[in-house]
Amino acid sequence: MKGIRKVLTASVLAATLASPALAAELRFTIWTGNEAHLKMLNGYAESFRARRPDVTVKFETIPPADYTQKLTFQIAGGNPPDAGWLMEDAAPTFAKAGVLEDLAPALNAAKDYDFADFSKPALGLWVNGGKVIGVPFSTSPFVIFFNKDMFDKAGLEDPLVLAAKGQWTMATFQDVAKKLTAANGKPGFEFKDGQGYDSRIMHALMPPIRAYGGDVWADRKCGLDTPQAVASVRQLHDMVFKDKSIVAPGEKGDYFSGNSAMTINQISRASLMPKAGFKWGIAPLPTGPGGDSPVIGQAGIVVFAAGKQKPLAAEFVAHVTNKQNVAIAAQFFPPARNSVLASDAFINSNNLIPPAQMKIVGDAIARGKVLPAHEKSPQLLAAMKPRVDALWRADANVESALKAVCAAIQPLL
Amino acid sequence: MTSWLTPRQLRLLNRTCWMLALSIVAIPFVFPFLWMLSSGFKSAAEMFGSPSIVPREWQWQNFIEVFTYQPFARQYFNSLYISLTVTLLTLVIASLAGYALARLRFAGASLVGLFLVSALMVPEEVTIIPNFFLMKRFGFIDSHWPLILLPVFGPHGIVATFLMRQYFLALPKELEEAGRMDGLSRFGVWWRVALPMSRPALAAVAIITFLHSWNLFLEPLIFVSSLEKFTLPLALSNFTDPYGVPLWHLQLAATSLAVVPILIVYLIAQRQIIESFALSGVKG
Amino acid sequence: MEGKPATSPKSGPTARDDRAPWLTLKMREAMEAWLFISPTIAGFLIFFAGPLIAVIGYSLTEWNLLSQQVTYVGLANYRDALFANADFWHVARNSAIFALGLVPLNMMLALMLALGLSRRFPGVIIFRTVFFAPVVTSAAAWAIVWKFLLQGEAGFVNQMLAGIGIAGPNWLRDPDWAMVAVILTRVIKMVGLNMILYIAALQAIPRDYEAAARLEGASDWQIFRAITWPLLGPTTLVIMVITTIGSFKVFDHIYLMTGGGPENGTLVLAFYIYEQGFKFFNVGYASALAMIMFAIVMALTVVQLLLRRKDT
Repeated sequence: MKGIRKVLTASVLAATLASPALAAELRFTIWTGNEAHLKMLNGYAESFRARRPDVTVKFETIPPADYTQKLTFQIAGGNPPDAGWLMEDAAPTFAKAGVLEDLAPALNAAKDYDFADFSKPALGLWVNGGKVIGVPFSTSPFVIFFNKDMFDKAGLEDPLVLAAKGQWTMATFQDVAKKLTAANGKPGFEFKDGQGYDSRIMHALMPPIRAYGGDVWADRKCGLDTPQAVASVRQLHDMVFKDKSIVAPGEKGDYFSGNSAMTINQISRASLMPKAGFKWGIAPLPTGPGGDSPVIGQAGIVVFAAGKQKPLAAEFVAHVTNKQNVAIAAQFFPPARNSVLASDAFINSNNLIPPAQMKIVGDAIARGKVLPAHEKSPQLLAAMKPRVDALWRADANVESALKAVCAAIQPLL
Repeated sequence: MTSWLTPRQLRLLNRTCWMLALSIVAIPFVFPFLWMLSSGFKSAAEMFGSPSIVPREWQWQNFIEVFTYQPFARQYFNSLYISLTVTLLTLVIASLAGYALARLRFAGASLVGLFLVSALMVPEEVTIIPNFFLMKRFGFIDSHWPLILLPVFGPHGIVATFLMRQYFLALPKELEEAGRMDGLSRFGVWWRVALPMSRPALAAVAIITFLHSWNLFLEPLIFVSSLEKFTLPLALSNFTDPYGVPLWHLQLAATSLAVVPILIVYLIAQRQIIESFALSGVKG
Repeated sequence: MEGKPATSPKSGPTARDDRAPWLTLKMREAMEAWLFISPTIAGFLIFFAGPLIAVIGYSLTEWNLLSQQVTYVGLANYRDALFANADFWHVARNSAIFALGLVPLNMMLALMLALGLSRRFPGVIIFRTVFFAPVVTSAAAWAIVWKFLLQGEAGFVNQMLAGIGIAGPNWLRDPDWAMVAVILTRVIKMVGLNMILYIAALQAIPRDYEAAARLEGASDWQIFRAITWPLLGPTTLVIMVITTIGSFKVFDHIYLMTGGGPENGTLVLAFYIYEQGFKFFNVGYASALAMIMFAIVMALTVVQLLLRRKDT
């Protein structure tokens, strides 16, 4: 009897001493539910176990429409994730509120990380003084998607050809759109995701305004009532209501189902093209009087200051954004690392887009400017929206409408 | 003009006019359901083409895609078990409290009644913010607890309490008194005598409580953030592509799946259901 | 009870139980009552009374939901809302328009439907079922379907209107029509409830009154005016109170159909509170708004109850 008890005690002791130090689980929020994306992310978790065998990573999907909001509920509700994706328009707000952890120590400590490899413009939103509040994982330039079949039907040269000839300008854009609408019976252009009047106001107005040399806001001053901005918006307004070549508010003209000839979007949408059933391509944004101004949308990975496992989470983030893993992600998410951008792997990574067109993407990332962000983004957008709604009426006076928008948002800037 | 019609014919004409008018008015009540159902069978492209109530091709796969797009089955189940739990808890708590208010004399009864009534007049939006922090204190954020506790104890629970009270008041006391004489405790009387006699009220409370919980939107919106914990109303508006644009064919297919079972139950038990609501409206 | 027995009585309010002689029956009954009602009271205190008091406290602070920083600001939030900020009055106006549009429309339609459906005729059950069906449907589902139907040119409603030669407006993109759309769709959804309340009330009116009136040659309209309508008074009042308060509470319908737009044209108080608190993280300001909403609803209720008192 005594012998057995000794053996039992000994084995229990042994088991306790031999068990791994700390089995930890990291919670990482994302907004994609896409199978392929999840597979890749879980792959990261697996490779992380090589270094930290006892750490598992749980990826939690929060739908994109309310992502920032629900994330806020989690943080405010005492249930913060350890790390997660963050949209660019939320980055300043979250940074200002102090809910993001500084990643600089962890990134500097990571072996072979090479932080300098990241493209400087791409880091604009994410580096603040000496602090790194997040690492961009997707730096996706806006490009023009075009329906080659419709261009052929209208007898027009497609934007790629025009761009190569240096003729792809805002003026040409308007002309081409009008001709396309006449030839195909379908609008020549649709705003991003058909949401140009709703959730993607900025994405609709930004590129043309920048092409004309203006900006939505800069240095805390509203730029929408400057002559450049007014001119560009006037062109858009005419295209919507006079030429009827842009899908109007409340109407449908989904590019991806073949109901409009062009749209502006990020290359991640290319995954929708195989189902589309028409010949297509991507082209750079039209240049304007202000020159050539690529626009980039971003998303980053952050660690939350309210989380309970910050050092571990930061380590994971460093792992996910190291050179190899960024190269793996490049097939879905355009990288911000110069080394990856320049690599052949990247140019050839997207099997839907020919290398020549991928070069446009790489070029835009290197030179482009990110969308403007502000710590009061939600209020700004909310204040803008009603006035922008007033702008998108057939009888609106563009200049006074834009002045009204500026009047509404200036106090917040 | 109408003098050459007999009174009988006149009444018939009157009746027919009424029926016609009612049928026309009924169109916007019925059409949304028909349209919802038929659109659920259409492909995304056909959504906005020429509208016809019969889909060109019956896209049965929409209904399958609904389940693969997000954990819809799970969300359906969530709504189901939460509503059942809320209904059960409300039945118990409301009938206990209603009985006390109806039968038991105790100091402060009317005061309690008054306080409870005041809760009926306060919209949920007023107390939702402190409730958010309260739930945070308990660690209940992003769980189903708020979705169970708030309906049971909130204004709706109080409506249920008064419903039961109303019904108990109208019950003859003799049976209960007989039970007391037989040595039953107060609880025993409630359980064995009063409750069984109040089946109609219990059914009414169950029905309106179930529907109330099933259709809750603000609370899940605020308290639940992870997909698998969503309830149906939240899930329905979530059939968007990764960029926020609604996928109408899926949304409407999912909406059909959510609405049709309720409609079927409703059509079978509509008399009972309608009476339940009528009962709830006739409170003092 | 007659006489005074020597030992404690075994029945009546002052009876005492052998097991616990120190408890009178009355006390026992009170204890049991409190026991029965304790869950309800506990819930009431925790989830209603407590939060209500807390809201008052929150409304006196500036509190950021995300950063959790709190500063005491006294009545600044109220001053902001009522005097400084034009938005609040815009919202109040929207809420008022919504209520003023919804309540009369709902009640009149409910009454007319009830009048038509309170007597038995072949098919009455079908009609009642039809009109009540939207009530049991979830607001989310209803809003989603209508949002779909009310799309611009390609939407079903406008296609039907085009069929009879009317160019329908872009319902949900025009601030004025959006309000109309939101009111109409909400009325269709909820009118069934008031309809059955009216039906119940109509059926409670003794038929002799009407029979007698008819014998005297009264027309339908005269009967309605002199008999039916006055007798419906109490019901009408109850319905008016419920519907008015209900119209202030509406959230999901607006959230899903218009999100408060376009041009903030359908931004009503309930949505504004949500937006301020949970989208802009201004917990303090949102709490002040919530208190204001509370005050408004209370005032409306009191006014309508006073009207009732005056009637009876």
